Amino acid sequence: MTAIRDWKLFKENLGTQNPVFVQVLGICSTLAVTNVLKNTLVMCLGLIFVTSLSNLSLSLLRAWIPSRIRMMAEVLIIASLVIIVDICLKAYYPEISRQLGPYVGLIITNCIIMGRAEAVALTSPPRTALIDGISSGIGYSYVLLLIACCRELLGTGGIWGARLLGQSWTNWSIMVMAPGGFFVLAVFIWIVKGWIMRPATEKAEA
Amino acid sequence: MNARVKDGARAAGFMAALSITLITCIAALSLATAGRVKRNAALFLQKAVMEVAGETVPDNPDAVAEWFSASVKPDPPESPNMYRVYGDDKSIPRALVYKRDAQGLWGSITAVVGFDPMRQTFLETRFIEHNETPGLGARISEEWFTRQTAGKTGPFKLVPEGTGSPAPTEIDAVTGATVTSSAVRDMLNKLLQEIKETQP
Repeated sequence: MTAIRDWKLFKENLGTQNPVFVQVLGICSTLAVTNVLKNTLVMCLGLIFVTSLSNLSLSLLRAWIPSRIRMMAEVLIIASLVIIVDICLKAYYPEISRQLGPYVGLIITNCIIMGRAEAVALTSPPRTALIDGISSGIGYSYVLLLIACCRELLGTGGIWGARLLGQSWTNWSIMVMAPGGFFVLAVFIWIVKGWIMRPATEKAEA
Repeated sequence: MNARVKDGARAAGFMAALSITLITCIAALSLATAGRVKRNAALFLQKAVMEVAGETVPDNPDAVAEWFSASVKPDPPESPNMYRVYGDDKSIPRALVYKRDAQGLWGSITAVVGFDPMRQTFLETRFIEHNETPGLGARISEEWFTRQTAGKTGPFKLVPEGTGSPAPTEIDAVTGATVTSSAVRDMLNKLLQEIKETQP
């Protein structure tokens, strides 16, 4: 029974309850890191690591955390996990760490992690919390990767540093700048909500 | 009253215990990787100096370190801002590599800039540290940008990206990153000025 519920939660986090385009959380990093695909991928892996482990550890500790200081405890755990990611990148992937610069530290401020901690981790058993953390992370990641592909392709004429569009292509510099992030994200949400999710909601209402 | 004190003490105790546990873990991890982080930074600088001096950089980090200790003389030895690179002939340097800082859009940019031993023309440039915007200012690290100082005399002025100007006093700017490009230009010109003033 729990397996079925967990699977449902997993699917919801990827689709109808997606953190980015339904709950509109974590938009700051969605806009900031999606101009280069490689950085986006590392950011996504970092986020999946942090959401899943913060959910798991908070769920394990939930019986002992006094409720009035639960947010302090959440922030402390999340911040520690992010610092662990940062230290590991610095030590083992210095090139990527160099490129991401301050963005890794900003995983702390990602609302998804805090949101899932409050909504799920503090009220669910560890298994459910872990599955929720992983699926929220994946739900966030695939949206970011799609946006990053669009922006890098249009903005630099290639993906992952390899040129795909011919020499005649003029790079849309605005795509790699901050406004490009807003445009692509807005169009993405429009397409998903207007064309893909609307038929489902209409059916539910009918 | 007693219940409130007890409640407060419990909360404070929990936070203290959690903080101590987490800080211990992080401190341990940080200490365990400190050597690696330091080596990475040193290796990055060594590779940059090697590339600027026109050597092919081997994949093996040990080989880079070995080359560096055999053919490079840092000046001053304690906290160097210049590296003399020697070839087979140990009496005169083959290249002079200067380490300089510039103020970019988001923070300081550290670069190594090469000069021929006569201090007449620039060699290539490498950026070893910067916090510029990925996709814009950060493109100063791209090869076309770092290669373009080679063989030029300066002082530089910027021309639009894509010009590929062969003129000895012109370098292409990065489109959309005027502040960063100007900072790099000013750093190069300041270094040139410094060299001219100190040259006998």
